[in-house]
Amino acid sequence: MSFFGFNVALRGLYTAQKSLDIVNHNINNVNTTGYSRQYAVQTAARPMSTYNGTGMIGTGSNINAVERMRDEYLDYKYWGENIIYGEWEAKRSVLADLEALFNEPSDSGFTTVLNNFFSSLQELAKDPSSPAVRALVSQRGVTVAKYFNSMAAHLEKLQDDVNYRIRTKVEEINSLATQIQQLNRQIYIAELGGNTANDLRDQRGVLVDKLSKIINIEANEVVVGTLPDGTEDKHFIITISGKALVNHFDVSKLSVVQREEDEKVNAEDISGLYEIKWADGNILEVKGGELRGYLDVRDGNGGEVGPNGIQSPMYKGIPYYMKKLNEFVQTFAKAFNEGIIGGTDGYGHADGYGIDPDGDGPAAASHGIRFFTMLGPDGQPLSSAAFIDESATPSEIEQRYKQLTAKNFAVSLDVTTDYNTIAASSNGAEVGNIDILNALLKMRHDEHMFSEGAPEDFMKSLVSNLGVDSQQATNYLERQETIVNQVESNRLSVSGVSLDEEMANMVRYLHAYNSAAMMISTMNEIYDVLINRMG
Amino acid sequence: MRVTNNMLINNMIGYIGKNLYNMSKYQNQLATGKKISVPSDNPVVAARALKLRTDVAEIEQYQRNVEDAQSWLDITENTLSQIGDVLQRARELAVQGANGPLGQDDTNKIKAEVEQLRTQLIHLANTTYAGRYIFSGYKTDKPLIDESTGDFAIDVSNSEAIKFEIGVGDDININVTGGDLFNGGGDASATNRGKLIEDFDNFITALGNGDHSAVSNLIADIDDDINNLLRIRADVGARQNRLELTANRLGSDNIAFTKLMSENEDVDMSETIINLKNEENVYRASLAGGARIIMPTLVDFLK
Repeated sequence: MSFFGFNVALRGLYTAQKSLDIVNHNINNVNTTGYSRQYAVQTAARPMSTYNGTGMIGTGSNINAVERMRDEYLDYKYWGENIIYGEWEAKRSVLADLEALFNEPSDSGFTTVLNNFFSSLQELAKDPSSPAVRALVSQRGVTVAKYFNSMAAHLEKLQDDVNYRIRTKVEEINSLATQIQQLNRQIYIAELGGNTANDLRDQRGVLVDKLSKIINIEANEVVVGTLPDGTEDKHFIITISGKALVNHFDVSKLSVVQREEDEKVNAEDISGLYEIKWADGNILEVKGGELRGYLDVRDGNGGEVGPNGIQSPMYKGIPYYMKKLNEFVQTFAKAFNEGIIGGTDGYGHADGYGIDPDGDGPAAASHGIRFFTMLGPDGQPLSSAAFIDESATPSEIEQRYKQLTAKNFAVSLDVTTDYNTIAASSNGAEVGNIDILNALLKMRHDEHMFSEGAPEDFMKSLVSNLGVDSQQATNYLERQETIVNQVESNRLSVSGVSLDEEMANMVRYLHAYNSAAMMISTMNEIYDVLINRMG
Repeated sequence: MRVTNNMLINNMIGYIGKNLYNMSKYQNQLATGKKISVPSDNPVVAARALKLRTDVAEIEQYQRNVEDAQSWLDITENTLSQIGDVLQRARELAVQGANGPLGQDDTNKIKAEVEQLRTQLIHLANTTYAGRYIFSGYKTDKPLIDESTGDFAIDVSNSEAIKFEIGVGDDININVTGGDLFNGGGDASATNRGKLIEDFDNFITALGNGDHSAVSNLIADIDDDINNLLRIRADVGARQNRLELTANRLGSDNIAFTKLMSENEDVDMSETIINLKNEENVYRASLAGGARIIMPTLVDFLK
């Protein structure tokens, strides 16, 4: 008999100690994001044969490897679901902004503004010569115009904000891709010796998690050959719509390029919107993630083909609402000024007469005044004559109204400077005549003005449209959140650290350690007897 | 299934957040008194809310219009009644004046009173309401009859009807045109004299001439004028009636629509308070449960 027993006991000590180290590491990382619990792969050491036929004698235990508990299928599932989650989260956040912008139903939204305007016209109908009521009509008209100006300005601001968010997200993608590529290198080198780089892999997983929320990615570890030592040569590859973002040690970055005027998707778009491309100039197709969401709300115009022949996304985003508001002011102004509703020309403001300020005859009463015009290049409202020339042909008039937008909608300079130009009468000499005013008042209920119906129906349908879209986004988001949480919960179930478990293991390994130590002291006693007490 | 500490914590945080959100939802409803704050809360309610707001605002406007129409017609009716008194008095005087035996002295007294009546008539023809001449048709800024000559000062066609809107596609004519009243149903044209004034002029001339039989013949003319006035007063009365009915209808419409609006968007307070209480209990329970779940681990039991 040699000192064999000491060696076995020593192995026991080492094994228990290493396992305790792992327990210690797990406990430390109980709250580390993306951490997978680690465990020791412990085997019995190679046994020794005896030559006297008693068989093989065990030589203790070994720790062969430290592995992490991870179900990679759950990772793929998480990434796939996270892409959809990101998309709806982005849409939801912008639609919520839009809803706040429209501010309906409330006592300060569009309905109130239009109610007040028509109410002032009603008052004017009862007392068409009163300067106070005329001033009121002019002011309420300005409020209507300003409402649209402010809506347009806010929508443009929102589009600009979303555009900026897109740029930030692209920068985030590039940064994540670079970090992943660096981790790829570290992992590859660390694993050349046949080990598993558990913690580095966990870190890489966290980065891919983040990336999957932003854009549609596919991440895979691909076997590309065999290493000289016979193990598989694995490369980690992330692709976006088929093209590699990270390919092992290489990164292809994304870039944002500002669209030129002739590259605009929608006529309503502000200048300088970003097009996302690969840095090498190739077209990038974004199919999911927050970026898709932001692109949809930034460019979405219900799939309409824009002025440059580019089809907008099939989503009702900011340009859609800009377009609708523009459509409203164009149609409304045309009806109100010219009396043209759905192709038929009735009586509008321009067909009427204002009142003659000095009261000595029809010659001085204004005629042909357009109540609504647009803001000129200097930001001041145009006068009626500057907006539409008296000699304009019907088709020229039609063209002028096409230039009206919610942004430049205004009450004509004539009306704001001289209330007497508000045309209520169909005859310049009759101040009590309200034929024109009655025609204008009737427009409020003209079902033929818009394809949606009367002016208020138009806005009602716009607001309920927004409500439905936003509700849909909220519902999708909630559903997707549940799915993502479920997958995350499954991942935690497999990979998460359970403190109870670690405590139990700690006690277990402590006992193993104590026992191995006891073994040494027993051996010590044996040899003490054998060596010191004998002879 | 293996359950780990972080799963518990994540779930707990998630659920507590959700419960808190539900609580804040009901709290918002209580604070604002509205079921919805943004259209996406309920697009149908939101769309209906917009429509009802417009309806209520319109009804309120129509109510104001009806009130103004009523006061305009009240003034008109008041003036018509005074004209009626003038005509009645003129007829009495005509009957007196037709008496042959009346002395020139008395005839002159009658003549003086008729002249006064004529002046009063012209004043009444130029009655204003809030600075606007009520019988001048569309030319509300101009008097109907020239005070010095007694001729019409302006043209007023009987088609110059001032109309107030008192409902969707429903309007009411609130004025009486000068010609209709002072020219026996015809139009008024400038520098011409209306029948009513002309009758008075004839009356005065006949009295001046002491021509009693001419005065007697004038009684029939004055009767015509009185009948014409009665026709107009009946018409005005009918319009006032209609306004009365419309006012009542608009009043009940206003109540009905306001109620609809309230049913559509206002919260049922007691229901919401109960819901809030309920959510609060759930929230408390989730906090209590969470506190219990997080606390103990094996660490607590190892010595």
